[in-house]
Amino acid sequence: MPTVTIHPTGEVIYLQPGQTVLSGLYQAGFAYTVGCRRGGCAICKVDCRAGDFTYCRPVADTVISDAEQADGTCLTCRAVPEGDITIELRGEDVRLVNRFLHQINDKARQRAEAHAAANSAAGTPEKEQSWES
Amino acid sequence: MGVMRLGYAHIRVTDLAEAKDHYANTMGLYETHAEGNKVYYKAWDEWDHHSVVLEEGGVGVVKYGWKVQHSTDLDDIEAKATAFGVTVDRMSKGDNPEIGDGIRFTTPSDHVFEVYHEATLVGTEVGVHNPDAFPRHLVGVGVPALDHSLITAEDPGQMDRFLSEVFGFYATERVQTSLDDDADIIATWMTSSNQIHQLAVLSGPQGKLHHFAFRLNDWNEVGRAADLFSMDDVPIDVGPTRHGITRGQTVYFFDPSGNRNEVFSGGYLAYPDRPTNVWTPEALGKGVFYHSRELNDAFTSVLT
Repeated sequence: MPTVTIHPTGEVIYLQPGQTVLSGLYQAGFAYTVGCRRGGCAICKVDCRAGDFTYCRPVADTVISDAEQADGTCLTCRAVPEGDITIELRGEDVRLVNRFLHQINDKARQRAEAHAAANSAAGTPEKEQSWES
Repeated sequence: MGVMRLGYAHIRVTDLAEAKDHYANTMGLYETHAEGNKVYYKAWDEWDHHSVVLEEGGVGVVKYGWKVQHSTDLDDIEAKATAFGVTVDRMSKGDNPEIGDGIRFTTPSDHVFEVYHEATLVGTEVGVHNPDAFPRHLVGVGVPALDHSLITAEDPGQMDRFLSEVFGFYATERVQTSLDDDADIIATWMTSSNQIHQLAVLSGPQGKLHHFAFRLNDWNEVGRAADLFSMDDVPIDVGPTRHGITRGQTVYFFDPSGNRNEVFSGGYLAYPDRPTNVWTPEALGKGVFYHSRELNDAFTSVLT
């Protein structure tokens, strides 16, 4: 159950396993400057301050340079967290544009946390579901 | 008449399998050839061998091909491009599959243009003998043809002069900083024929692709295309809407690598003696998106 924490506001967003950072944030009612949503335009880059992610598709080296592959740059439309991650936007803050979606995401997160706690007490592994973003 | 049309757009894609699915199954292009990391397509109402080339590795545009009517047009364009100060190379038959010899140069905007006179005639999907109105078994949007492209350049005014002097194009519409004679050109829509635009140039970084567009017939087809994009989870950038500039009806959307595509219908008939429409910055939103009348941030910042 990966979560994305947004620095410095501390908002925590719950992602489905396999979901991209961009997809998760928008589905939780947040907005920020994005472009093609398909890895080509490089507009949705943020800094990853903690945690690991992988890219779910090949990314052009004109979009993410070799240096950016190592410096924590995170192309959010293609980045899938491997666990909990913390991100910081560049030159803007995420905007909560849909409180209804945010409430739904909060409930999903609480529910998933409760399930994980119950399963861990019962000694059964967490069941992961795949998610196409 | 010199340049007749935009013959082909050669585009980079990050994942060839996903791109093939988009251009074949969503757009409805016909694959005519594949070799190495490239795939060649034509649309159903096109007769030459290909109009779209996909090359795996990266994003953005590799080059454009422009087809001229007469073989002597190649010498004419070579001389005019050289006079403009551009270095022109000769291109051999077979440099591009099924495309004849011609010339190749890099424009002042850092885009690679190839100009050719011969391409292998494949024929349209309906043929020429008592043809039906359209093929019965089109796939997805089923676009009939490649239409135009929009590129970015640091100096669109220079590209306006280049396309006028070298290709014999004329501007149907322009965006200018003001109505003053010495105003800067922010964008220009250019053509050689009655087609409202074959190439548009917008102020921006050198060598970049804003979009390339496929032709549709009317509003209904544009709306149906948008429905199909939702079915296929294609991110829509803007639309369906109308452009104030050209009056065309449109949807902007992104291919699986983030290259912007468009489906475009309508646009009034262009003539070289028709006075050029001029748009000034206070109406730019309406010029680009006639209904929302607001330029979204992505329109000028999202390029490949």
